[in-house]
Amino acid sequence: MKEFKLNTNPKIESGFKTPEDLYFEKFSANLLEQLPKNEPKTISLFQKKKTIIMMVAAVFVLALAIPSLLNNANRYNELDTTTLENYISYQSNVNQYDLINALDEEDINSLGTNIALEDQTIEDILVTNNNLEQYIIE
Amino acid sequence: MLDEKEFIQQLLNPKTQNDAFQKLLHTYQKPLYNHIRNIVLSHDDTDDVLQNTFIKVFQNLKNFKGESKLFSWMYRIATNEALTFLNQKAKKSGISSETLQNKAIDNLKADVYFDGNEIQIALQKAIVTLPEKQQLVFKMKYFEELKYEEISEILGTSVGALKASYHHAVKKIESLLTTN
Repeated sequence: MKEFKLNTNPKIESGFKTPEDLYFEKFSANLLEQLPKNEPKTISLFQKKKTIIMMVAAVFVLALAIPSLLNNANRYNELDTTTLENYISYQSNVNQYDLINALDEEDINSLGTNIALEDQTIEDILVTNNNLEQYIIE
Repeated sequence: MLDEKEFIQQLLNPKTQNDAFQKLLHTYQKPLYNHIRNIVLSHDDTDDVLQNTFIKVFQNLKNFKGESKLFSWMYRIATNEALTFLNQKAKKSGISSETLQNKAIDNLKADVYFDGNEIQIALQKAIVTLPEKQQLVFKMKYFEELKYEEISEILGTSVGALKASYHHAVKKIESLLTTN
């Protein structure tokens, strides 16, 4: 059997052929197209105008929104009847004398409206409402 | 080529980067093609891996510290890309890397960029039987004729270990080819 030796002359080549120059030219061109570009950042004229337009629009929106916001704020200043009743009922600092002092002539006249009630109706109200006795005493 | 440090500065400078990279491409595309081709065997696969290699080189230029030579840094990237490509392809096909390489060798006869005969095919088949590291060392030393010091810088292995690997590889190949 003949012994095989690698260190022969000429030595055994790999057999792979290096492609022709045209292949490498095409390869380079393709590769350079694929590489990420390092271009400086540019802000277009439109981009600048866009910022100004956005600023003007923001001012208009604010100008329109402010009156509406102020109206909302005023609405919250008007108290509804329930809130007022609750305040008077649970606020210990306000007593009946304070209330009397707060009433003027017109208020007293309006309270004096005649209500047509029959005796039987008054009796029924007095029977069904225990608290009324306490109010009459006071 | 220019002084390497100066050339690296040109590669890192955005103003000179494109021209410098074209020079780099022109200088290294052929040797890297041959290096990758010896590992992946098929021309089409080499084309893909070579492209990935240069893209990776471009993307990582800013991380190149200049601790090793540009040449060995690029060869290291090419080697890693080629090995990763082979392993991924074998995994996708559900076969071993050796089987994949044997298939690639069988297809070489139809490859326009291969003009070997039966001896070259037999030699490639014998190389495939070697462990991965021995294959690399053998191909880089025997086919590419790189110096041990250069291979050492590329693979990060001592010259002594490389000499031992090459010696074992040669003995095993000669023994296989003598038997066949």
